[in-house]
Amino acid sequence: MLILSRKTNESIVIDGRIIVKIVRVEGDVVKLGVEAPADVPVHRQEVYDEIQRNNKQALTQGRPVLPRLPESKPRKNLKGQQAAGTPA
Amino acid sequence: MNTCETIESVEAVELETVTVHNENIVELPLGLLGFEQIKRYALLQNKHESPFQWLQVIDQPDLAFLVLPALEVFPEYEPDVPAEDVKFLGLNSPDDALVFNIVTLGAKAAGTVNLKGPIVINRFTLKGKQVVLANASRYSIQHPLPLSR
Repeated sequence: MLILSRKTNESIVIDGRIIVKIVRVEGDVVKLGVEAPADVPVHRQEVYDEIQRNNKQALTQGRPVLPRLPESKPRKNLKGQQAAGTPA
Repeated sequence: MNTCETIESVEAVELETVTVHNENIVELPLGLLGFEQIKRYALLQNKHESPFQWLQVIDQPDLAFLVLPALEVFPEYEPDVPAEDVKFLGLNSPDDALVFNIVTLGAKAAGTVNLKGPIVINRFTLKGKQVVLANASRYSIQHPLPLSR
């Protein structure tokens, strides 16, 4: 692993297009600013690992038996107003 | 589903051949976390399986993710999509978004649903992304499905 020393407000550049800046250091907490192109996803590693693990468990092959859910509640969207779940 | 302009045919998880129309093909340019290389999915729904739907891998028809529009099932669910994801997906209003949550089936047909990292899709472009919600800490990645009766 490459290890670099940086001070607050100093940065590193990755691949000429990703900038990681040390924004603040408070005790054992380091605040990082990341500037990356939209096609470069940036995640906290533990969140990434958790979702990746869940996705791998969720992948289905064949024909599982689906659980029965209670009757659906009225539909709503992100703001809680209207239909969601059907393509336009 | 529109019946004209058949684009391609893939095998559904039920192993019946289903017709996939262009309007049902969802593009996830970044893939799903852990499946970054798989970018094209068919969004399939059968009435008798509602509210479940399938995101089926286009080129590997035996592989699919079971999904659920959690907004319809959990009235208290309020996913807060980060601004950079709203921009990435080109969403102009919350109405532009379809929100699907990946279901993990357990033993005895019980299951859990991922409320923390939903798949958000622009309903007009059908471009989507698995996002980590800005309010992800409020939600479980393995929220139990409600049981019938």
